Amino acid sequence: MVHALEEIRRVLVAGGTLIDLRPLAGGWPVELVSSRSSQEAGCVTDLPQALEDDTAANSAMAHGESAGLFQREREELFPFHYSWDSPDEMQEYLKKEWADFAEVDETVWKRIRSLWALADADARVGVRLKMLITRWVKVG
Amino acid sequence: MTIQKDPERNEVSYLHRCADFSGKRVLEIGCGDGRLTWRYAIAARNVAGIDLNRDELKIAGIERGSDLEKTVALAQADSIRLPFRDDAFDLAILAWTF
Repeated sequence: MVHALEEIRRVLVAGGTLIDLRPLAGGWPVELVSSRSSQEAGCVTDLPQALEDDTAANSAMAHGESAGLFQREREELFPFHYSWDSPDEMQEYLKKEWADFAEVDETVWKRIRSLWALADADARVGVRLKMLITRWVKVG
Repeated sequence: MTIQKDPERNEVSYLHRCADFSGKRVLEIGCGDGRLTWRYAIAARNVAGIDLNRDELKIAGIERGSDLEKTVALAQADSIRLPFRDDAFDLAILAWTF
């Protein structure tokens, strides 16, 4: 990613802006949400790849700052919700799309399914990701 | 399967709080299927969306509205060797890219 930052700096005009937008690992909550209520069923387990990705990205951005490529101007965290029609759909999606970086323990699946059995008709099952957005400005 | 991503539109809201897209030449690295791109492209002067995933880019090409055909260019490219000249963009977005 360090090389990418150098390339991004090259194609940006002087004073140009770089927005870094990405999820941060950290045990994202699994929730059952309906129009009446929201219940937490547990958390997603971060796999080593997710933690390594975060570390690599953080360290690349820190390098970009210390090497004088970019200067950090603003940083915020915000929630990003994924939701599915049912636990089965969520399980299928996670197995296909998130297998490298996150999983849900069997105990959490049991809790999800027991909450689901009593959930409102309009309930959905979801995961609340923690997102980081940082604005950088090209230095020089 | 019905999956919802960010129904509250937090992502685009925070993105617009962080950057002014009006009249800007924008490079989006990791544009994927264009989910985020379509939410700011209308304000930009032009957008170059790149991704390594050819299948995702194919979806983006299909979903790109006719009003954005001249504004948004999509290409398979790697961020460590960007196929653009120096100083080509005012704004770059690293979108879900590690």
